[in-house]
Amino acid sequence: MTLEGRGLVCDYGATRALDGVSASAQAGAILAVFGPNGAGKTTLLKALSGERKPERGQVLFGGGPVSGGDPTWRARVGLVSHRTGLYDMLTVAENLRFFAGLHGTAGARRRRRAVDAGLATALDRVGAASLADVRVGDLSRGQRQRVALARTLLHDPEVLFLDEPFTGLDPYGASLLETALASLATDQRIVVLATHDVARGLRLADRLLVLRRGRVVLESAADEHRAHEVTAAFSAGGDGPAETSIPESLAG
Amino acid sequence: MTQLRWIWLLAAKDMRAEFRSGGRLLAMAAFVVLAAFLFVVSLDRTQVPGRSVAAGLLWLVALFAATVGAGRAFDLEDQDGAFRHVLLAPISRRAVFLGKAAANWVLLSLVTALAFAAVTAFLGVRSPGSLAAHGAVLLPGTVGLAVVGTFFGRVSSHSGLGDTLLPVLAFPLLVPVVFFGATGTARVFLDRPWPEIAGPVRLLWAFALGSLAAGTVLFRHAAEE
Repeated sequence: MTLEGRGLVCDYGATRALDGVSASAQAGAILAVFGPNGAGKTTLLKALSGERKPERGQVLFGGGPVSGGDPTWRARVGLVSHRTGLYDMLTVAENLRFFAGLHGTAGARRRRRAVDAGLATALDRVGAASLADVRVGDLSRGQRQRVALARTLLHDPEVLFLDEPFTGLDPYGASLLETALASLATDQRIVVLATHDVARGLRLADRLLVLRRGRVVLESAADEHRAHEVTAAFSAGGDGPAETSIPESLAG
Repeated sequence: MTQLRWIWLLAAKDMRAEFRSGGRLLAMAAFVVLAAFLFVVSLDRTQVPGRSVAAGLLWLVALFAATVGAGRAFDLEDQDGAFRHVLLAPISRRAVFLGKAAANWVLLSLVTALAFAAVTAFLGVRSPGSLAAHGAVLLPGTVGLAVVGTFFGRVSSHSGLGDTLLPVLAFPLLVPVVFFGATGTARVFLDRPWPEIAGPVRLLWAFALGSLAAGTVLFRHAAEE
């Protein structure tokens, strides 16, 4: 199965966020989208997921066009972003049950036990099994992010979008999240990861795409040894410093 | 059935979070008591009998409370980007709107009941008329306030102007609610017979149902990018 964006153009008022971007991602692989702030990474993810209708171009899944207005497409999509999208005043279990309900995987009382089992499995998978009864507002940033990932796993999406998932995490939290994410593509899922953490992105990804000013400036197989090339593509043209978190050992 | 389940899920989630934090409910409750008190002390009670102004004061306080509540209705969703995940779920935008409006209506009903108690107490109205008849007027009126408030609450929070824009957009549309609500409630205060009260009630229901229909159709434009 393939997810493909063809000639995507997205505008925010007079600003062109995506300028004819084409990208494709395969099942069982992770596509990393790199770029400095404002390069169009989040907009590309929104266009591919259907959250934002592009001004031009189309998104195809398995060869057929998809759109965010179609609930059957949205049911196949999952999202983890730097904003966790959880409700502080609810416990982890209440949050997950709510979102499971929206995805039709909860509701009927007789299915409650099955939902709770799925919830426990998802939390266990991201190393957050002990947090079910804790209010989200009391969690650390890293814990919240892993709960957000568990929420996404509940409805077992075929396509998973990760929008800057490492932002604001301490090294330990980022490492735990990275371990959890690394296992996702092995389920024959399509994973699209937008990040400016080049080192981590290259460790996780199978293919990479670099955006700058809404255009693709580099597309290739991912390889940890290409960190320097990716960073150079960020700032090509000399229009400002790249924002990366590349360790000195790799960047040098 | 599925739509109803989604509406219930969204409304129950909002109410659970609101009752647990208490922030919005407390703010609205404090607002209605203070507003009712200030309105009453600004009147020359020797010239204006309490019973004749109680209905107008009650509906003005309810209108302002609805604005305060609606202004915060999407805070919960915007706090950490939860609304993005709600919109990405395979549920209809109609259900999202109706779920949010239902939760708003529950909160508004509670504070309107408090406003009723505050206004009648501060104005010294000892026999306010039939409580059932008051309920019959307040029910469609508060539905209208909650529905319009929810819709424009989303529009204003989406616009970046926040609470500043909300009254400018909502107040002109809510004139019929205040007018027919105050008319109906005044007649209940004066112990008028039900046929005289039924006219404003029917118009309030027409407004409530019309705004519900318009809100469910238009909400997807207000909700999405």
